Amino acid sequence: MRAFSGELFKTVRRISVWVCVVGLLAAAVTIGYAIPWIAETFAKNVQGLPAGVTLADLKIQLYPANFIRYTLQQWSSLGGVFALIVGVLLQGSEYGWGTVKTLYTQYDGRLTMLFGKLGALFSIVVLMVVSLFAVDAVSSAGAALLDGKSLDFPAAGVILEGVGAMILIFGFWAGFGFILATAFRQSAMAIGLGLAYALVVEGLIFGLGSLLGDWVKKIQEWFPIANTGYLADAFGRTNIRGLTANITPYADATHAITVLLIYVVAFVAISALLVRRRDVTS
Amino acid sequence: MASTTSDAVVETRALTKRYSNGIVAVDGLNLVVRRGEVYGFLGPNGAGKTTTLRMLLGLIRPTSGSATAAGAAPGTPQSLEKVGAMVEAPAFYPYMTGYDNLRMLAIYNGVPVSRVDATLEQVELTPRARHKFSTYSMGMKQRLGIAACLLKQPELLILDEPTNGLDPQGMVDVRNLIIELGKGDRTVLVSSHLLGEVEQMCTRIGVIQKGKLVAEGTIDELRGSASLFIRAQPAEKALSVLAEACGADKVKGDGDGAFSLSVDLSRTAELNRLLVQSGVDVTELRENERSLEDVFMELTGTEAGL
Repeated sequence: MRAFSGELFKTVRRISVWVCVVGLLAAAVTIGYAIPWIAETFAKNVQGLPAGVTLADLKIQLYPANFIRYTLQQWSSLGGVFALIVGVLLQGSEYGWGTVKTLYTQYDGRLTMLFGKLGALFSIVVLMVVSLFAVDAVSSAGAALLDGKSLDFPAAGVILEGVGAMILIFGFWAGFGFILATAFRQSAMAIGLGLAYALVVEGLIFGLGSLLGDWVKKIQEWFPIANTGYLADAFGRTNIRGLTANITPYADATHAITVLLIYVVAFVAISALLVRRRDVTS
Repeated sequence: MASTTSDAVVETRALTKRYSNGIVAVDGLNLVVRRGEVYGFLGPNGAGKTTTLRMLLGLIRPTSGSATAAGAAPGTPQSLEKVGAMVEAPAFYPYMTGYDNLRMLAIYNGVPVSRVDATLEQVELTPRARHKFSTYSMGMKQRLGIAACLLKQPELLILDEPTNGLDPQGMVDVRNLIIELGKGDRTVLVSSHLLGEVEQMCTRIGVIQKGKLVAEGTIDELRGSASLFIRAQPAEKALSVLAEACGADKVKGDGDGAFSLSVDLSRTAELNRLLVQSGVDVTELRENERSLEDVFMELTGTEAGL
């Protein structure tokens, strides 16, 4: 508990952590709501929409009834990048500043320190997710009020499930950043590799691999980003008039949750092993 | 684990660290630091001082051998709760103030926050306590490092080259602080390659070279007994008189009529009289005390930092 309190004490004083949190929320408001609402309200002569579908039809995504699935769809990967960076920062900077030796020569053992830090990271992840949904809820209410639409929100149970799902997704990303920073004992390479994987590697492998047949999909269902997608898709797609909705996810929520939990547990176990066994020479 | 020497606060037995590249940084080190000592761990750069201290803190695992620090295995909570340590440059969070850095460590150690102010006062850092660590000078960083060591009121302080990078005034301040901290029951293990500071601070010294302890004792013990230096002419006649008076094995000719004599210094006047009565001109006669620097250079084959 002392290690957790100590880690939280220094984490909340770190501006770069808040830059990530505020950056995510700012992106959620602008990219998620403000820009789409402005575009779908004022744009004219948009090409590429199916016959009979108008920009106004797309705005249904922005209203409160859809804010849970909209948030999950939009931020499970892109928002995860912010969580990844936080995970890297919390661990990687300790090596950069040489504060690892300062921490390890305090009262608690290395593993207690590690779990204190993971606890602080989890707290920030929860804060990010809850703030994200809160900001999206307010934004969706704003969009509905501006358009004179219903302020009906999903049931509390659905909201809680959505928040829980996103905590798992962001938890995976933060854990991914944490283990990269632990393995490489620095932030720069961890962020670089993490972003490369998040934005390029898995998409590229399976984008090309899907041409080879369904067996590639079988492999893909054990990869993390695919499962963050399956979990988000489990909340359904917004039914937009004239567009195909309700596509069936390749794997269900239970599968996605199981796979993501396996990744998170593996990240923690490997981090613990590395932290416990390695010499601190710098 | 084998039993430890009764008043030993630090004890190592055949402690060895061999890195994967084959370099043996510490080689079968046997070291005992007793309660209340200010023990100087002296050696040239790369001798294995920092590796030893890191092993005593559990930061590095030994390849073989064993160690205890403050009565427990290094790196365990039982040991660390009694040990304050600063290894190489003090490392803190640059975005936090000195005060907040210590407060964070106080939380970690379950130490009352009131200790933070007390330790800052002790190292005379209170006026800059609310400034960010990143704005501190090297001297202030060292003092914050020492303050962090003192938070727990440890019974053992391990300080690795604590005056490194300091200006002369800063070195004096830190040295005086360590002397002050070493008073009473607290044990201080301080590494250095600076002979002068070890001489001023430490009650006992261990000299390490290539990972091995090559000498250990008080400063006087390391220096050994003083000898008599005589310069006289003619040299052959002087040698004959001195050898007859003291024994040939006690007289060492250094050339050009210079001699070192391993004799009791109370015989100085007698030997002078004998030489003069034998027609030898004595041009120089003095106590020939070996400096710690001479000892260090003999033991390590290096030039000591001064």
